[in-house]
Amino acid sequence: MLKKTGLLFVLVAILVVALSGIGIAAAQDVSELTIWWAQWDPANYLQQIGNDYEAATGIKVTVVQTPWGDFYTRVGTEWAAKGTSYDLIVGDSQWVGQGVTQGHYVELTDFMNENDITGSVTPATLQYYGEYPFGSGKYYAYPTEGDANGFAYRKDLFENPDEMAAFEAKYGYALAVPETWAQLRDIAEFFTRPDSGLYGVNVYTQKDYDAITMGFENVFFSYGCNWMDETNNVLGVVNADACVQALDLYKELYNFAPPGNTNSFFQEMNDSFTNGQAAMIMNYFAFFPALNSDVNPYKDSTGYFVMPKGPDGQQFAALGGQGMSLNSYIDDTRKAAALDFLKWFAQEDVQKTWAEYGGYTCNINVLGSEEFLTQTPYNAAFAQTMTFVKDFWNIPEFGQLLAPTQSALSGFVVAGQGTAQEALDTLAEEQDAILVETGVIQ
Amino acid sequence: MAAQSSSSFTPVNYSTRVDKVGTRPMVANLMRAIIAVMLVCLTLIPVVWMGMTAFKPLKDAITVPPKVFFTPSLEGFVNLLTQRRQLNGAELDQFRQRTDLNWADQIALQQQQQIIGQSQFVSQLINSLIIAVTSTVLSVLFAVLAAYAFSRFHIPGKDDLLFFILSQRMLPAVVVTVPIFLMYRQVGLYDTHLGMILLYTSFNLSFAVWLLKGFIDEIPTEYEEAALVDGYTRLQAFRKIVLPQAMTGIAATTVFSFIFSWNEFAFALMLTQDKARTAPPQIPLILGSGGVEWSTIAAGSMAFLIPVVIVTFAQWRHLLRGVTFGAIRKG
Amino acid sequence: MSQANPPMQQAASSNARRGQRQMSDRRIMLWFILPTIILLILMNIFPLIYSLYLSFTNYSVIADKAPEWIGVQNYQAILSDSKFWLSFATTGRYALLTVILQTVIGFGLALLLRNKFKGSGLVTTLILIPMMLSPIVVATFWKMIYNPSYGIFNVLLGYTNISTAPEWLGEPDRVLWAIIIVDVWMWSPFVMLLCLAGLSAIPEYLYEAAAIDRASSWFQFRRITLPQVMPLLLIAVLFRTIEAFKQFDLVYGLTGGGPGDLTETVSIRLYRLAFSGQYDTGTSSALAYIILVVIIAISNLYIRSLNKARGG
Repeated sequence: MLKKTGLLFVLVAILVVALSGIGIAAAQDVSELTIWWAQWDPANYLQQIGNDYEAATGIKVTVVQTPWGDFYTRVGTEWAAKGTSYDLIVGDSQWVGQGVTQGHYVELTDFMNENDITGSVTPATLQYYGEYPFGSGKYYAYPTEGDANGFAYRKDLFENPDEMAAFEAKYGYALAVPETWAQLRDIAEFFTRPDSGLYGVNVYTQKDYDAITMGFENVFFSYGCNWMDETNNVLGVVNADACVQALDLYKELYNFAPPGNTNSFFQEMNDSFTNGQAAMIMNYFAFFPALNSDVNPYKDSTGYFVMPKGPDGQQFAALGGQGMSLNSYIDDTRKAAALDFLKWFAQEDVQKTWAEYGGYTCNINVLGSEEFLTQTPYNAAFAQTMTFVKDFWNIPEFGQLLAPTQSALSGFVVAGQGTAQEALDTLAEEQDAILVETGVIQ
Repeated sequence: MAAQSSSSFTPVNYSTRVDKVGTRPMVANLMRAIIAVMLVCLTLIPVVWMGMTAFKPLKDAITVPPKVFFTPSLEGFVNLLTQRRQLNGAELDQFRQRTDLNWADQIALQQQQQIIGQSQFVSQLINSLIIAVTSTVLSVLFAVLAAYAFSRFHIPGKDDLLFFILSQRMLPAVVVTVPIFLMYRQVGLYDTHLGMILLYTSFNLSFAVWLLKGFIDEIPTEYEEAALVDGYTRLQAFRKIVLPQAMTGIAATTVFSFIFSWNEFAFALMLTQDKARTAPPQIPLILGSGGVEWSTIAAGSMAFLIPVVIVTFAQWRHLLRGVTFGAIRKG
Repeated sequence: MSQANPPMQQAASSNARRGQRQMSDRRIMLWFILPTIILLILMNIFPLIYSLYLSFTNYSVIADKAPEWIGVQNYQAILSDSKFWLSFATTGRYALLTVILQTVIGFGLALLLRNKFKGSGLVTTLILIPMMLSPIVVATFWKMIYNPSYGIFNVLLGYTNISTAPEWLGEPDRVLWAIIIVDVWMWSPFVMLLCLAGLSAIPEYLYEAAAIDRASSWFQFRRITLPQVMPLLLIAVLFRTIEAFKQFDLVYGLTGGGPGDLTETVSIRLYRLAFSGQYDTGTSSALAYIILVVIIAISNLYIRSLNKARGG
C-alpha cells in the first residue's frame, strides 16, 4: 500500500514535470491552416470556402469555432500565451488595437497594397476592420464578414389597411418603414398592445460584453454623438444634450419591448420575432438568415430596413463583423502559407462564392452586383448599411471603457436607475478617469 | 405514499414516549408525509420543466404563454449532438428531394438545416467524465490516507494544519484562478486534463479530509490496538480494519467529490478551451444560428444530469447514512 | 473483524517490532499526509503567494510586458471606488438573506423528515436533487423559468397578463431576490441534510426525560433539539455563508451582474476585472486578496462560535 501510494504520487509528480518540460511543438509542414472564429453559421460558410481552397491547392483549412460568449476570452488567453494554435483569426473590429499594440497581429499594409486588395473592399469596412490607428493607412486585417445592425419588421402588420388608417389618424403621417428614430418610436408605440401580446420593438439590452452599447450606438451616433472628440475627451462629449436625448429614446424603445428582455442579445431578438411578440426587432444582419427560414412563421411577410436617421438627418449603423488577421507568433513559412490563402480569398470570384454560401462579403463589386442585392430579402438593406457603418473605440483600453458603459446603460434603460442625464454624466466621469489613468488623455 | 403502517416506525424509539402514544402521532405523521410529498413536487417543478423542454420542438419552447402540452420531438437532442448548417433555397429543395436521409437528418431538415458533423458537446461530456472520475478517485485516496494520519497520529500543529486544509475550500474559484492560470500557462497545464484533475483533486481534498476524519474518528481505536498486538503492521491494520469500517464515509465522500468535479463551472470556464473543456461552461453557450435553443440547452442539461443521478442513487443509502452517522460531531 | 490469523513470524520479538513500528508509524504518517499537503501547497499556497506579489503590480496577462511594481496603488484604487463597496454590500445582503432562508427552510425540512414514514427515504433523496445539479445549468434554466413571456414562474404565481406580471430579472427590487430564490431552492437541502444528521444523533433518553417532566414541545425544541443540532447547523451555516460569498455561477448565469450593477457580486466583479475584456491582472489580484481576507475573517468568527457551541 505504502509503496503503491508512493509510486502513484511519484508518477503524478513525474507527469507534472514532464508536461511542463514539453514546449510547444516544433515547426510543422504547412499542409494545414487553422482559422479561428466564433461559432455561428458564417464560420460554417467559411469552412466551405476552406474546402474549396483544399480542392484547389491541397492545403487543408480548418475553421475552429468557439461560442461567442467565450471567443474573446479564448483569444485573449491564446495571445497571452503567444500561442500558435491558429494561423488566421477572424477577430472583432475592436480587437485590432490590442492586436496591434501588443504585437499579436502582423501588419498587412504592404501585402494588401501590392495585391490590390486595399481598393477591392468598401472604405468603411477597411477602416473599421483593418486600419489602426484610424487614418494611418496601416492595415492589419482583411475585411471578411461585414456586419452591422439593421431592423426586421412584420410586413403583414405594416401593410394592413386598418392598421395604416389607424396609424395615420393617430400620428398624422402614413405608416411605412420609419425614416427617423422619432418615427420608429411612434410605430413602436402604436404596435405595443400588451392585451393581444404584441409589442412594438425589441432592442439589445444584454450587459455581459458589448450588446447594449452596440444597440444604443445606433441611436447615439445618429443623434450626432461620439464616444470621444478629436483630442480623446469624453467629458461634455458623451454626456452632451443630444446624447441624453438619444438615451431617452432608447429607453422609450425598451419600454415598448416584450417583457423578459432585460438581458437580451441577438438570439432573444429573433426569438421575440418568431414567437410573434415583436413587430420590429433590431439585429445584426448576420442573424437574419434564421428569420428567412421556416423557424420564422412570418417568414414570407418579414421585411428588413436600415437604421433610421437622427434628428439632423445623420444616419449610422453600429458595426459588427470581423476582419481576418495573421498571427504574429507563427513561423515564417506558415505566415507565407496563410498569406497565400488570404490573397486567394480576397479575389473577386472567391468573394462572390463567399457571398453565395451566405457570407457577408465586403467586396465593393460583389456588394454592388444585382445578383447579390436580390439574393435574399435583406441583402439590399445590408449593402446600403455598409455605407454608413460606425464603430466604437478600437484602442486597447476598449475593454475597460466598455465595462462602465454597459453598467450605466443597463442600469438606466433596464433597471430605470436615475435619469439619462445622470447615467451619462456618471459614465463620462468614469470613462474620463480610465482614459486619464491609462494616459490616453494627458 | 401517505399510507401509514406501524411497521414504518422504529418501535423502540417511541414505545416509552408519552406524547407519541395513540392516534395523534399517526395523524401527525400522515400530515408530515403529505406536506413532504407536496414540497417534493414543488421542488421538482423546475427539473420536470427542464425535462419537458428537452423534448419540445424549438418553437414550442418559446411560446407565450408557456406550453404544457406539446408533441414531443427529438430536435433538442439532435441539435445537441450535431453540428449543422443552414440550407438556402436551392439546396433546400434539393435536400427535400433526397430519400436517403436518416431520422436525425430529417429532424435537421425540418429546421432547414443539414447535419455536417458531430458537435463538441460529445467530446466535452467525455472530458467531464475523465476529469471528474480521476479527480474523485485521487482526492478520496489521498483524503483517506491523510484523514487516517490526522485521526490516529500525533502531528505537531495538527489543529492549525486541519484548519489550513479546510480553509482551502473557502477560496473563491475566481480568486485562485488568476495565479493558477499564469502558473498553468508556464508549465503547459493550461487546457489539459491533468491540469483540471490536479486542480479538482486539491479542491476536493480539503472537504474530503475533513469529512473522512470525522468517520475515522468514530471507529474505535481498540480494534486496531488489538490487531497491532496480534502482530498486524500498521498498514495491515489500516487496510483490513479501518478501511472496511470507513466504507460508508468513503462512499459519501466519493459522491460529494464527484458532484463537485462534475458540476464545476468557474475553473473550467477560465482554465480550459477545447482540449480539456468540460460540459458545464458549454451548456449556457449552446447557440443556434437564430434564437436561444432552449430545447438543446435542456437536452444538454438532461444528458449532463444523468451520471450524477446514477452515482447518487447508487450511493444514496451511504450518502444519507454517511452524513447521518458521519458525526462531524466530536471535533 | 480481526478473525484473520495474525502473521506468526511478526509475533516473534515484540520489542524489536515495537521499535520498528515507531519508526514506520512516523513514515506512514508522513507518506499519508504528504500527498495532501504537497498538492495543497502546489495548487493553493503557491498561487496565493504569486497573486499577492501580482496585487502590488501593474500587469495584464495578455500584454507582452513584465509586471511593474506599483506598491499599494491597486488596493487604494479599489478601496476608493464606490462601486467596489456597492458590490460588497450586494454580496453581503445576498449572503445574509440566502443563509437565513436556507437555515430556516433546511431546518424545517429536517424536522419534517426526521421521523421516518413510508417512502421518506425516497422523499429525502428527491429533495436533494437540486443540490446535485450544476449551478450553471440551474442558472441557465431558471433564466428561462423567470422569463415573463415564456417562463412558468409567473404562471405558477397566478399571473395571467404578462405585461403586468413581474419582470424578475429586470426590476431593481426583485432581481436580487430572483437569484436568492434559486440559491435557496438549490441549497436548502444541504442544510437539511446536516440537520438530519444532527437530529438523528440526539439521544432519545433526553426526550423521554422531558416527556416524563411533561415539558412542552416548545421547551423540548428549545432546550434539547436546538442545542443538540447547533454544532452541525453552524457547520452548515458556515459552509453556506462561504459559498454565498463566493457565489459566481448562479449570478453569472442568471443576470451577468445586471441590470446596471444591481447584482454585481464581488465574484462577478472580479471575473470582469480579471478576464472578460479587461484582463487587469494586478488590480484583480488585489481585489481577490481583499475578498479572501473578508472570507477568512467571517469564517473565523463562525468557527469561534462553533467551538463555543461545542464547548457549551
